Amino acid sequence: MNYTFTLRTIYPYLGELWQAAAVTLWLSSLAIVLSIALGAGIAVLRRSRLRLLRVLGAVYVEIMRNTPLLVILYVVYFAAPAIGIRLSSFVAALLGLTLNSAGYMAEILRAGLIAVAPGQFEAAQSQGMTGWQVFRHVVFPQVFRTIYAPLGNQVIAVILASSLASAVAVEDVASWMQTVGSTSFRFFETFVIAAIVYLVLCQTVNIARLLIGRWLFRQGATR
Amino acid sequence: MSEILALDGVVKRFGARTILDGISMKVSAGEIVCFVGPSGTGKSTLLRCVNGLEPIQGGSISFEGAPVLAQTASIRAVRRRVGMIFQHFNLYPHLTALENVMLAPVVVHGEARAAVEARARGLFDTVRLSHRINAYPAQMSGGEQQRVAIARALCTNPHLLMFDEPTSALDPETVGDVLGVMRDLAREGRTMLVVTHEIRFAAEVGTRMVFMDQGRIVEEGDPRQMVASASTERARQFLGAINH
Amino acid sequence: MIAYLPLMLRAAGTTLWLSWLAMLIGAFGGTLLALVHMQRIAPFRWLAIAYMEFFRSVPILIVMFFAYYGVPLVLGLDLSPFAAATLALALHASATMSEVVRAGIGSVGHGQWEAAQAAGFTWLQTMRHIIAPQALRVVLPPSIGVFITTLKESSLASIIGYIELTRTGLLVRDSTGGGFAPLLALGVLYFLINYAISQIGAALERRFQTGSRIETVGAMA
Repeated sequence: MNYTFTLRTIYPYLGELWQAAAVTLWLSSLAIVLSIALGAGIAVLRRSRLRLLRVLGAVYVEIMRNTPLLVILYVVYFAAPAIGIRLSSFVAALLGLTLNSAGYMAEILRAGLIAVAPGQFEAAQSQGMTGWQVFRHVVFPQVFRTIYAPLGNQVIAVILASSLASAVAVEDVASWMQTVGSTSFRFFETFVIAAIVYLVLCQTVNIARLLIGRWLFRQGATR
Repeated sequence: MSEILALDGVVKRFGARTILDGISMKVSAGEIVCFVGPSGTGKSTLLRCVNGLEPIQGGSISFEGAPVLAQTASIRAVRRRVGMIFQHFNLYPHLTALENVMLAPVVVHGEARAAVEARARGLFDTVRLSHRINAYPAQMSGGEQQRVAIARALCTNPHLLMFDEPTSALDPETVGDVLGVMRDLAREGRTMLVVTHEIRFAAEVGTRMVFMDQGRIVEEGDPRQMVASASTERARQFLGAINH
Repeated sequence: MIAYLPLMLRAAGTTLWLSWLAMLIGAFGGTLLALVHMQRIAPFRWLAIAYMEFFRSVPILIVMFFAYYGVPLVLGLDLSPFAAATLALALHASATMSEVVRAGIGSVGHGQWEAAQAAGFTWLQTMRHIIAPQALRVVLPPSIGVFITTLKESSLASIIGYIELTRTGLLVRDSTGGGFAPLLALGVLYFLINYAISQIGAALERRFQTGSRIETVGAMA
């Protein structure tokens, strides 16, 4: 109980903290972008005319949603060398995060597509729009509205989940907390600092999402 | 008068079910053709085939001399000259009434915004909705939405207007507004194909009535004459039942 | 590898026990938080919101690190890996559960409160006899989702050395020469458990058919 909170012992490690924060940010950003792309592909699969492709998409989603990220990371990290591919920790973590997050992204995007009424496609087509024009002017704006909030949640989920990359030796913020904590024995301080970094990252996303959402959808044009 | 639409032996099947069973007809500029008949006889499907929303399995359709081929790039050229009004309006919910009307002229036809906007505003006068120009679809009644949909179809200066049961999804009190606008368009000499259950409207405004049953044209002719005394028993039954 | 299967199945039992315990504490904590959140006194409300926002914005892994390595230093209280993991999981689950419970209570119409008040029920009696039974049908399906998330998160206990399913899989891997078959088996076991649970959740959802749907599938973890 006579623990005194002091940041003095932590000062020397702050330089590494910035690096670690950059790794966390970079890893999550890449995983978010890549998993949106992969998730979009799977969402399209799930609407395919071929039953086999639909089942394949559904199986992928179920596997990713029901398996812990940590296990997926281990499988990627240890399986790659076994089949002769050398992956750095960072790439392995990025791959695992992306594969996992894509399962959730696919469902978010699918829900967005379902929310667009079939009549919308027909109206746009009947006006002579090309496939791209239908997507760009009619489908996408409506999908975007539906997925906006869940997409924000998923972005935050990926930032938080990126902390597991420390388990496959990526030197991110969580790993910083553990290494610095165990060398300096200032676990409370490292915890507070690491928590603040994640809080700032996530709340920035959260607040930006609210403000941008309010600006984008200001006319209250909901169905 | 010049012929703008020709159907020759059009067959449409959904799996084993035949929806259109050899439809042949010609439509000239300025005609107002009203399609009537029991539900599920292929009237709406016929309109959807004309602008290629449904591919056909037999026969041919040509619009202004060129073949209508669904699922090919050429269909867009037809659609640019045909305006379609749907039973459920299908307005774009993320756009205001004005933006709904302006989208296709700007995006599909590549017209200048200012010119389109001026024309669109004029069209809102035509459909008597100038006060609702900035409303979103969700904020409008069904009758208002359908009139916006008509303005949207008109704004691309179509050579042919197709109405697919335009008043079937409306509250009774707003049906009159929509029919009123359609009456005005008829007076302007527009070429129109109208699928409707409003027999009285068809008799009053139509230049030709087509009675369809089970995917075939059973009888066609002058609307007033048909309503008064159709020559086939089937049409007489139907029109009589609707009339009284 | 096959010889280790009974070991892994037993470890799956450990994982289930750990997550169940954390979930149970989380459900109680979450309900308490939801009730605090509903109070008229602003500081209480702020406290509940701060708690929820904190645990929504901080990875559970570092909470677990702190519970295991930090708490003994700060409080002089040695937590076993099991206790530390349970604590971290329960803290996190209660943040999520408080939102689920709040949505559940919110789903019960205002008229129910008024009717109960008019009949002379106290606040507690209204909660106990009128609101809770109705809220439960809304709360149960998404709780299954929270449970699945907690179960997946429980794999992090392996990082602080608690021998549950994931740790067992890694140990089996070490003693069988480092192949990745044990890891695959690990994935399959987790999948089967979670998929079965999510099917129960889906069945509950169908049965109750409540208007306000919240995902029964857990979040990314």
